[in-house]
Amino acid sequence: MSDAASIFRVTVRNSERTIDCPSDRTILQAAIASGIDFPYACATGNCATCISRLEAGEVALLPRSDTALGDAQRRSGLTLACRARPLSDVTITWLARSSA
Amino acid sequence: MAKRADSATRRARACQALMDKVHAITATEGINPSTLHAIKLKLVALANRAELFPLNDFAMPIAEARTHPLLIEDDDGHGLYLTISLPGKEAAPHDHGIWCANAAISGRERHDFYRRTDDGKRAGRAEVIKVGEVMVEPGMGMVMADHDIHATEVVSDHPAIGLALYGYALARFPSVSWFHPEFMSVRATASRRHAGDAR
Repeated sequence: MSDAASIFRVTVRNSERTIDCPSDRTILQAAIASGIDFPYACATGNCATCISRLEAGEVALLPRSDTALGDAQRRSGLTLACRARPLSDVTITWLARSSA
Repeated sequence: MAKRADSATRRARACQALMDKVHAITATEGINPSTLHAIKLKLVALANRAELFPLNDFAMPIAEARTHPLLIEDDDGHGLYLTISLPGKEAAPHDHGIWCANAAISGRERHDFYRRTDDGKRAGRAEVIKVGEVMVEPGMGMVMADHDIHATEVVSDHPAIGLALYGYALARFPSVSWFHPEFMSVRATASRRHAGDAR
């Protein structure tokens, strides 16, 4: 985490947990570090396993593949937890289950 | 319009010629490190013919990465694609479950190679260490066997455009394993091998 990073509160509805997430970490990174069993596979914006509904708040998205999150999906309120860094306090719900 | 059709025709012929050469290699010698290297060299030679792949023929990504099919063989055949990835696009360490080769048309993409060091007995857990890297840029390529592991990142300040040849088409890919050194974890995406088969 850089010195300039802000800390935001991220609520993960599925697990009914609210955690801290620095602005230079993805929501997925923060969730896993907090012990939340958030579904994921590639964790780099390619597979969409972590696709989630952004219920509240704003995020900045790191680079991703077109097939992982389309523009229409993004406009409809979906996001990728592995690519999303918080710009404010956030509430999020994941839509899938992972397979380890 | 005529110019675009002409480039598409010449491109299709060149892609088919590549595929014919790949089959000629594998039919007699199978898939092994030597033949994979030979396949890579054929793919690099095709990628070097940049005039066959004018950017006007291929839409740029809406986000940061897009894959355009060039030649998809029927049934369980190979898949050849043109890939466009914007600066910063990355992929965590992963295998493909099938062999693959990449060659650059323009831009630079770093490929870091990893080796799994744990015994694989704990579900969802894995440890990997970096064992090498290759910069895929014009004139260069890389090749991987089924369960080799690589991570990628576009490091040029302009898009990395290249060719990707896979043993199976993407629509019929096996399960892909993704490794995360930060979490000491491995996660798999579902196999598409028989997704379209009648049951």
